[in-house]
Amino acid sequence: MTAGLAIVAARRGMSVLAISMTEDLGLGTHLGVDRLGYAAQEVRPGIHALTIDRSHALDEYIRLQLHAPRIAPLGPVARGLNALADTVPGIRDIITIGKALFEARSDRWDVVIADAPPLGQVTSYLRAPTTIAGLVPVGRVRDQALLYRDQLADPQLSSLALVTTPEELPVVESLESIDPISESIQIADLITNRSLSPLGVSGKTLAELPAGPHRDAGLLHRGLHDAQRRWRTELPDGPEIPYLFGVHTPGEVAARIADHLGTEL
Amino acid sequence: MTRTVLVTGGGGVGKTTIAAALGVAAAQAGHTTLVLTVDPARRLATALGLDQLGNHPEPNPKLKGLSAAMLDSAASWDAIAFRHAPGEIAERLVTNPLFEAVATRFPSGQAYAAAEEMAVHLESGQWDVVVVDTPPASGGIEFFSAPRRMRELVGGRLLRWLTGAGLPGRRGLFNLAGRPALRLADALLGGPLLEQVAEFLFDLRTTYDGISAKAGVIEQHFDEAATLVVTTADPGPLREALRFHEVGIEPSLVVFNRALPREWASIAEPLEDGRAATALNDNLARWALEVRRQEDSRADFSGRVGTPIVTIPWLADAPVDLDGLRAVLSGAPTLTLDRLGI
Repeated sequence: MTAGLAIVAARRGMSVLAISMTEDLGLGTHLGVDRLGYAAQEVRPGIHALTIDRSHALDEYIRLQLHAPRIAPLGPVARGLNALADTVPGIRDIITIGKALFEARSDRWDVVIADAPPLGQVTSYLRAPTTIAGLVPVGRVRDQALLYRDQLADPQLSSLALVTTPEELPVVESLESIDPISESIQIADLITNRSLSPLGVSGKTLAELPAGPHRDAGLLHRGLHDAQRRWRTELPDGPEIPYLFGVHTPGEVAARIADHLGTEL
Repeated sequence: MTRTVLVTGGGGVGKTTIAAALGVAAAQAGHTTLVLTVDPARRLATALGLDQLGNHPEPNPKLKGLSAAMLDSAASWDAIAFRHAPGEIAERLVTNPLFEAVATRFPSGQAYAAAEEMAVHLESGQWDVVVVDTPPASGGIEFFSAPRRMRELVGGRLLRWLTGAGLPGRRGLFNLAGRPALRLADALLGGPLLEQVAEFLFDLRTTYDGISAKAGVIEQHFDEAATLVVTTADPGPLREALRFHEVGIEPSLVVFNRALPREWASIAEPLEDGRAATALNDNLARWALEVRRQEDSRADFSGRVGTPIVTIPWLADAPVDLDGLRAVLSGAPTLTLDRLGI
């Protein structure tokens, strides 16, 4: 979905940075390159992309955002803070989300689209600025954290697209996440992915068919669609991306999603 | 001896359902079985007899021999502190704000807490079979690396950086004199954060001997267990399944869930009669494309790893009762209890 949104934005003439926030779990391949690095690379016209590697991000955070003195012994500091980031929740998260927000403040991009961690982890990242501001009463880290908190909370600057599939666990998780996420950032859209169209054949007709692939495929489709419809009604309105049958390559998936998002957004 | 089956994989692939279905199959075969699960869907929880969610096993009233329990990692963290630290220090630890933050948001910590809970049940001598639905963090890999990471956390790498090589008493814990890197870090971070972290780690270090020994036992349990990696033929779950091999974990089986029947991709005589013929022909043609995509994905996966693969058919209805759970494995004749050492 991140790749699809990036393609839509680029098609509309924007200069786009797509970021994989935790590790490159496919953003690169969806945008046509095997692997992303920490430096932004142009992956297609109008789109640059990078993946956040924490040790690079930590080094950059210390130098550029905390303005550490140039002559300072940064190696031992970075090693120590890396260990600290492993231990103290909030440090790792603010370094990661801080990189995305730092890029978003740059004049280089019209829009920065981040492929965020799964729902179970994302609130931890979104709350990191507030967490850190709570742990650190004074100093540059606190100032930076407050700046990020405000940047996330300003709907003119930041918003979040929540992506789900119309099945029980994803829908329940998404609904439970709306309030905690909204405390940090505005949810702009709730996008439902892999949505099946109605079969257009009644249950009675299906039951009367002779056994075989037509009936079995019809029953599966109808059963999945009925379950999806039930869970879809629990969700607020938002764009729907259809199930992409038989689409093989990540690049093709991203292009098809972009086609649909282009008409929906 | 208790047989352990670890069912792992990323979120949304049907891992919990498959763990529950294996539990049902084992109980039906006469084994006293416990299913440990993380966060089941409500209807699946009901099917498992888990109306009361908690760390304590609840017997299923409809199937003799089957019990289920939740792995509640937040509650487990308190238990870990009291299990491994002296009472007074444990009290101080569990009321420390950093402890709460670590307990709820340090992914390895949650996974480790779940693993300790698992070990408690495995070592209770109550069960013939324990099926563990592992936490989904990092596609399930976090669960396996958690003992090592916890040893590192409580072992004091960070504490040594904060306090220097020789551990002082609690009173002289945080001394910046003659430590330029630490002074800079303290100035950069601001406030008493590093000092608070040092105090927290100093207390946490009292758990080292206990956690270190337990982590070793847990790793032994992992080695002896049958490990199933569950995936679908979709790119995200497949990438997560491949990562097990990349980090050197060799599963017993890889389970491809939501598999479609191969014969749907063969040329079928199109339906010619009736109003619905066109819709049904088109529908089968669409699903046939999915069959081919799934087959290509499985072939590609097999080409990369040598682990045996089994498939479980795609069911239109999510299981809501024991019959539903039985149906999950009825279409997977190659996924037998024998293959899991049960």
